[in-house]
Amino acid sequence: MTEVSIERLTKTFGSARAVDGISIRIADGEFISLLGPSGCGKTTTLKMIAGFEEASEGAIRFDGKDVVNVPAEKRDIGMVFQNYALFPHMTVDQNLAFGLEMRKIAKPEILNRIAKVLDMVQLGGYSDRYPNQLSGGQQQRVALARALVIEPKILLLDEPLANLDAKLREEMRVFIRDLQRRVGITTVYVTHDQAEAMTMSDRVVVMFGGRIAQIGAPSDIYERPENLEVAQFVGQVNLVKGTVTGAAGPGKSRVASVFGEVAVDSRTDHAPGIAVTLSLRPEAIELKPAGRGRAQGKVTARYYSGSIIDYRIALDSGETLHVQTFPNTRIAEGDRVSVHAPADGFWLLGAAK
Amino acid sequence: MMPARRKGLGSMVLIAPAAVLLGVFLVLPYLNIVVMSFRMPGQGTPYGQGFTIGNYTKFFADSFYLLQVANTLWIGLLTTAICLAVGFPVAWQLARGAMRFRALAYGLVLSPLLVGIVIRSYGWTILLGNAGLINRSLTGMGLLDRPLPLMYNALGIVIALVHVFLPFMILPIMAAIQGVDPSLESAARSLGASRFTAFRRIVLPLCLPGIQAGCILVFVLSLSAYVTPSLIGGLRVKTMAVTVVDALIDTFQWPWGSALALMLSVTGALCVVIFARLTRMKWKAMEP
Repeated sequence: MTEVSIERLTKTFGSARAVDGISIRIADGEFISLLGPSGCGKTTTLKMIAGFEEASEGAIRFDGKDVVNVPAEKRDIGMVFQNYALFPHMTVDQNLAFGLEMRKIAKPEILNRIAKVLDMVQLGGYSDRYPNQLSGGQQQRVALARALVIEPKILLLDEPLANLDAKLREEMRVFIRDLQRRVGITTVYVTHDQAEAMTMSDRVVVMFGGRIAQIGAPSDIYERPENLEVAQFVGQVNLVKGTVTGAAGPGKSRVASVFGEVAVDSRTDHAPGIAVTLSLRPEAIELKPAGRGRAQGKVTARYYSGSIIDYRIALDSGETLHVQTFPNTRIAEGDRVSVHAPADGFWLLGAAK
Repeated sequence: MMPARRKGLGSMVLIAPAAVLLGVFLVLPYLNIVVMSFRMPGQGTPYGQGFTIGNYTKFFADSFYLLQVANTLWIGLLTTAICLAVGFPVAWQLARGAMRFRALAYGLVLSPLLVGIVIRSYGWTILLGNAGLINRSLTGMGLLDRPLPLMYNALGIVIALVHVFLPFMILPIMAAIQGVDPSLESAARSLGASRFTAFRRIVLPLCLPGIQAGCILVFVLSLSAYVTPSLIGGLRVKTMAVTVVDALIDTFQWPWGSALALMLSVTGALCVVIFARLTRMKWKAMEP
């Protein structure tokens, strides 16, 4: 199908650089998420791919062909909007037929394709409904069907789940992901929700201030964040101060910290003696009754949320830790605990600032 | 939950002031006009004793009055069409244009309403008259030998009415366009529709109610306009509204004036109903 290549793409509004020279290569059939806080340029990037926003500089290639000067209606994209943008004066059928009519496809074939796509999004029997007669989730699936029925080169989704309630949002994540796999269409998905980006994508592009902070598989982004900003954006993280004591093989440094001396994965080598910041994910930490282990502390807060328990621990050395455990942990607020962190729970973020 | 009956009562109380106002100051006077139109003409009095259908037979017997109704409708139609053609692009810019432009344009659109209608109409006589600004300039530049007939005809009335009633076309259309989500156009274009097709298939049908409201407002206002047609049309071109006032005030024939007024109302209402029907059908037809 289609390979997308974005090269040094830039968008300026006056003197502001909304998108600042980003380059991404998207493989055929790949599901890519643009993840970042609002104002990071992810939506502007999507609009430039769609053709609704003109690129100030750079190229966007579909299968090697630059489309920067091709108007939106000739780019052959399927787009799903945050508010679905279903045509309110048309029935589901008419909404789905619109793109096919624009492509001058014969009536019988149109009906055929609509029936097939409605089946695919499990909305058979809803043909004659108007959008305002459908629930949010159903409208979402119609929007998806309308984008897919034209068999576009690329599927673009702009925060499509933002208006749904939590339970439906999780269902739709899986639904969209499975559908995308089955159709095998190259997909660009914009979101500010890191969990959404991670569960759905082959690769995640993390953006801050119009630039790409990191591109990688979800596990890469989560376990090996490029910097502090990325680490904090894609999940909760404890920052631990340490000092490099020596090398420990390729891509590993020995670091001394309140948890003792451990071999920590890192992207770059650091000279001995340098102060560094380690990240430690809350779910990598284990709590045990006080007495054993180097790091000792006290539970200052406990938040039970069903699938996990969140603890706040005040270490005797002064640091505060955020810990997540299974709900069967029998440790109460005020208890003294010893804190254990395995070596592979750490990641060396970089030199301390 | 409030019981349905009490909710109904609540809304009744809310519309009561408007209902009383309309009843006392619109429905009752209208009924009075209807009764008046069947009275005998008076001798030295506004109306005489007894009832007759003579006022109506007089109206239908004389093609002069029928022609005048047709002329009035024609002026209304032309004013409405020009207001729509001129007003739609302005409404579009007001609804979708750059913010900076909007405040200025909004002020310009509303400005005709800030000046009294008599003053505005007199202003047009200064511009349109044979010795007016436009004709003086054109003849002065040697472009014309004789002044263009811009006053004392339907053309002059239409020009002035367009100026006066343009805001009533622009404002409802602007509101309707603002109600159409811009992402619908983007969606249409992503599906392969050109800008024009996206406008025709998506935006236009969705703002048709605003267009309909604007057209009906301007049409009805044009039919009932009095000051502008009487000043610009003078004695030569008279619209129905002018003739009605002549009958009621100048010649003091209340029954005859009432009959004329009712004929104007009925034909105007008929036009509005036909228009509403046609546009609703058109709306339906736009859906594939």
